Amino acid sequence: METFGLTIAAILVAGAPLVLATLGETLTEKAGIINLSLDGSILLSAMVAFAIATTFDNPWLGVLGGMAVGATIAGVLGLIGIYLGQSQLAVGFVLTLLCRDLAYFLGHSFSRQPGPNLGLWHIPGIGEITLFGPIFASQSPVVYMGLAAIFACWWWMYRTEGGMRLRAVGESPRAAFGRGIRVRLVRLCYCLAGGALVGMAGAAFSLAVKPGWGRPQGCEGAGWIVLAIVIFGGWHPVRAALGAFFFAALQVSGIYLQEIFPSIPAPVFQVAPFPMMILTLLAVNMGRQGWVQDIVRRHPFLKKFSNAWSIDAPAALGQDFDPKKGL
Amino acid sequence: MIVLNDIHKHYGRVRANDGISLTLEPGQIYALVGENGAGKSTLMRVLAGHTRPTSGTIEIGGETISYLTPTLARERGVGMLYQDPLDFPAMPVWENFQLGAPKRTKQEVIDVIGELSYRLDACFLPDEPVSSLTVGERQLLELLRLLDLGATTLILDEPTTGITPEQKQDLFNLLMKLAREEQHTIILVTHKLSEAYELADSILIMRQGALVSTLQPPYNEKELVTLMFGEAAEGVEDELPQLPPAGPTPRLAMNDTHFAGPKYSMGPMNFIAQPGECIGLAGLDGSGQELFLRGICGLDRMPRGVMSLDGKEYRSNDFNTLRRAGIQFVPADRLEMALFPALNLMEHIKLAFPDRRGDLTEFYETQCVESFNLRAHPDTNASELSGGNQQRLLLSLIPDDSSLLLMEHPTRGLDAGSARQVWNHLKGRCAKGASLIFFSPDLDEVLEHSHRVIVFYDRAIAGIVDREHATMDIVGALMAGKPISELMETTR
Amino acid sequence: MKRDSLLEQIGWLGAAIALALLLTIIVTLPSGAPPFETIYVLFKGGVGSMSKIGRVLASWVPLTLCAVGLLIPFTARLWNIGVEGQVIMGAIFCAGAMRPFDEGGMLQIAIAIIAAMIGGALWALLAGLLRVFGRVHEIFSGLGLNFVALGITLWLIFGPWRRPGVASMSGTQPLDMSLWLPRLGKLSVSWVGLALTFAAIIVIYILMHRTEWGLKLRAVGENPKAATLFSLGPRRRLLQSFMICGALAGLAGAVQVLGVYHRLLPAISSNYGYTALMVGMMASFRLGLVPFICLFFAILNVGSIQLPLQMGLDSSLSGVIQGIMVLSVFIVQGLRLWLNNKREAG
Repeated sequence: METFGLTIAAILVAGAPLVLATLGETLTEKAGIINLSLDGSILLSAMVAFAIATTFDNPWLGVLGGMAVGATIAGVLGLIGIYLGQSQLAVGFVLTLLCRDLAYFLGHSFSRQPGPNLGLWHIPGIGEITLFGPIFASQSPVVYMGLAAIFACWWWMYRTEGGMRLRAVGESPRAAFGRGIRVRLVRLCYCLAGGALVGMAGAAFSLAVKPGWGRPQGCEGAGWIVLAIVIFGGWHPVRAALGAFFFAALQVSGIYLQEIFPSIPAPVFQVAPFPMMILTLLAVNMGRQGWVQDIVRRHPFLKKFSNAWSIDAPAALGQDFDPKKGL
Repeated sequence: MIVLNDIHKHYGRVRANDGISLTLEPGQIYALVGENGAGKSTLMRVLAGHTRPTSGTIEIGGETISYLTPTLARERGVGMLYQDPLDFPAMPVWENFQLGAPKRTKQEVIDVIGELSYRLDACFLPDEPVSSLTVGERQLLELLRLLDLGATTLILDEPTTGITPEQKQDLFNLLMKLAREEQHTIILVTHKLSEAYELADSILIMRQGALVSTLQPPYNEKELVTLMFGEAAEGVEDELPQLPPAGPTPRLAMNDTHFAGPKYSMGPMNFIAQPGECIGLAGLDGSGQELFLRGICGLDRMPRGVMSLDGKEYRSNDFNTLRRAGIQFVPADRLEMALFPALNLMEHIKLAFPDRRGDLTEFYETQCVESFNLRAHPDTNASELSGGNQQRLLLSLIPDDSSLLLMEHPTRGLDAGSARQVWNHLKGRCAKGASLIFFSPDLDEVLEHSHRVIVFYDRAIAGIVDREHATMDIVGALMAGKPISELMETTR
Repeated sequence: MKRDSLLEQIGWLGAAIALALLLTIIVTLPSGAPPFETIYVLFKGGVGSMSKIGRVLASWVPLTLCAVGLLIPFTARLWNIGVEGQVIMGAIFCAGAMRPFDEGGMLQIAIAIIAAMIGGALWALLAGLLRVFGRVHEIFSGLGLNFVALGITLWLIFGPWRRPGVASMSGTQPLDMSLWLPRLGKLSVSWVGLALTFAAIIVIYILMHRTEWGLKLRAVGENPKAATLFSLGPRRRLLQSFMICGALAGLAGAVQVLGVYHRLLPAISSNYGYTALMVGMMASFRLGLVPFICLFFAILNVGSIQLPLQMGLDSSLSGVIQGIMVLSVFIVQGLRLWLNNKREAG
């Protein structure tokens, strides 16, 4: 039971940055904007968070710095993609590469330096509770940040007016414009908010999960995994968070497997999440294949599963909208 | 009272609205008629705040302004209903209703929907996604929403497309009630004169971006037609060719055929079409007619059943095989589905007739210019063509020996002259022995040009009606789900 | 819409360069390095001597091969982000084909090059199949396969192909001199590589603009649905376009193995795949511009090696400048669009 609890605790920690970034991207994509710059954003905000935390010796200032960086990058994407009408995918991809190189360039002097981290929060009195105790008695703050963000995103998206507008601009910007919603502004706002969450994820990497800065930092590629999890999560915050924890569980189990099979070189385990990512996307899209649909039609009880399995993207994802051109 | 004063709206060189002045009084029903492309919709979008005019002023509520935004228009009580409802299909009814309205709780919204539905004799489940409603229901929901927002000027853009005659009657009664009892201003945008006669207190006629006349009842049909179409009103429409006696091998025979599309499947279906036959498909949006056409040409799958074409049996409907066998499909959404926007006309010809070698200029002259009157330079990109020329291009790309044409809404977005030309061409092909299966959301068009009408309801064939029985009443009732046995008894 | 005059085009280009310079200075300020001196060192490191120009050309060859190849899938509106992995796969196949030979000549080199092209094409085909039949967007399949290809390289270097005695990041056993691509005089670039690159540019030009295949591919990219209606076989054509790009990327991998590193090592692709994507975006995927932008980017890449030595800065500055340049081009394009719209409306 003890080891089980510790494993869960490890998954929660490993999953926290993934959850934060996934929620951020889910918010952005729900508003109809694809922020492909995630991988670079996470790295750059991780670097800045660590640099600020080291310079001011305050990890929480670092978290704020990371969030600001994430929001700034998303803002650049938003301005060029939404207002200047350039391809969101192209701009996002350039930003990914640019931010990665910028992180290595600016972070040069912080490389392999000791620095502060967010430490652990101890909650007294729950250590004895079965299962719960080992998981939460002494846990990294990023875990609580992640869990709180899941609830906050769900509540905002499905229980508030603002969330309704968010989904509206992602579903049909034309209709939203017709209802007097300022589509581009709303989209930019969620671009910034999503970017801030992604930046928080970067800070969570460099200040808690993989503390420190270096080349490689250890979170390379995480942004791409997150983009895939958003699809797997069907643009729903809770399901997306479950997907993030699923990938975290894979990473954690990789560490165990490495101990069991020492003959397999370590690099194989490091790239394992990526074929998993492809397989996950393959599986999610399976429900749209003709032969699967035929089976579902012959066995109507499967319909519920297939509907829940393949969720459609926001209808206007990636499409730009110019109110001046009118409806 | 609303006064539009010298409204201009230019898109590049195109003058969609060219100096329009207009006064709208409360309690009146106006019909804004004109051909496709006459500028009706643009003018109404200006009034609804969805498009900014290039110049001109709008006087509304005693204030003169140069343009409206959607929010301003809502505050001044202007609401617009689009031809394809401008809503959020994936979101539930209550959220669709609430979006854009002042803040309220979900329960309050549900109560308001219930109350309005009761008053207007409708029924909505607040948590149902809008995608599960029919087009007619979605329009009604939009109408309720506009009324709830306090709209006193209602603009309806072609509201009768894609709804049953019965739903149309209900809608017209409702509009009449709103104008007479509650002093609302109603503007009905339409290209159908019959609707204008039926409802309007005055008819506004637009042609080529200008308001050419305002007529009061009693209306003179001949005058109206001339004003609306100008010279294009002259011209002869060919008669539907006589159906030759049925030969031994039908053109198309479906035997317990099933089709499966991405959204739904249908079957088993049994059906036979003869050479030279024009068959119209009628049905509400999503009733199965789209899948029927896409299934026959092989764009959607045929999981079970057999299809034979000119006596040859096909157990699977591979698109390329069927295309070689003479089936041609022309989608309604021409630029999105059937043409390459940034390729020029000559390149389209090259792609459509890959077996033709050498210089295609001469071929272009005979194929496009002479037989279709397609007046465009072969270097023109498809995206720069007008809707009529796009359809002409597509028809000219269909080889002469094609035996079965499948067409979605052949005259969508075409002006009357082009529409007549398209129909004359299609009928010419039928007279030479090709078969045509088409659908159109305009029921008049279906009835006018078909030897037989297949009516779809709820993703199945509801009935196949001969030309002599294919009246608005019978087809309309079938579309609404009345069983065919019942209908045929009452007509006897 | 009328085309802008040449003068206006040059003006916009100047604006993009000025913007790029400004942004570069802004983002590099936190590093504390003197901006103009840094840029001077960067360019001097790229064109300062003949041997450096040789290295620039050696870097231009694989970059141009990848960038030119990318035009093909992009014509079909596909983002072959997997080009990086295809370079790696080409290198792996090349190194694998060379394993039986201790020494040899042009025949062995030709075999290795063909093997590399097949390797790259197969790896690209995999991404294509995932896209066409599995409905996995090529960005994800390509990216995932890049990491997998890297994983395979690492596994080979540390596992079955490790050097006797030592297994390290320095790669596999070097090839015999007789299996190296012949050099151009004393420069570190091979004339074979240069010749193959020029040939590739010409072949791609003919394929795209002079053949029916190119027209059909353009049609597929313009509108895949209409391509189905015209029986153009869009799926087959998408796979072909991926494979052509993959083969050129594989060729780039072979040049890296045979001409530059003479062995397989983890950093064999030198990020050329990703850089080539940037080149493509900056050139708006116009073939005529690609070789020149590649040359410029190659100068930056080679010059940046001097930064750690002379200034104590990280060499990734070249990537930063490249990214900023592409971004500046996007911004300037966007501003142009915005101004045009405004002019038309007013």
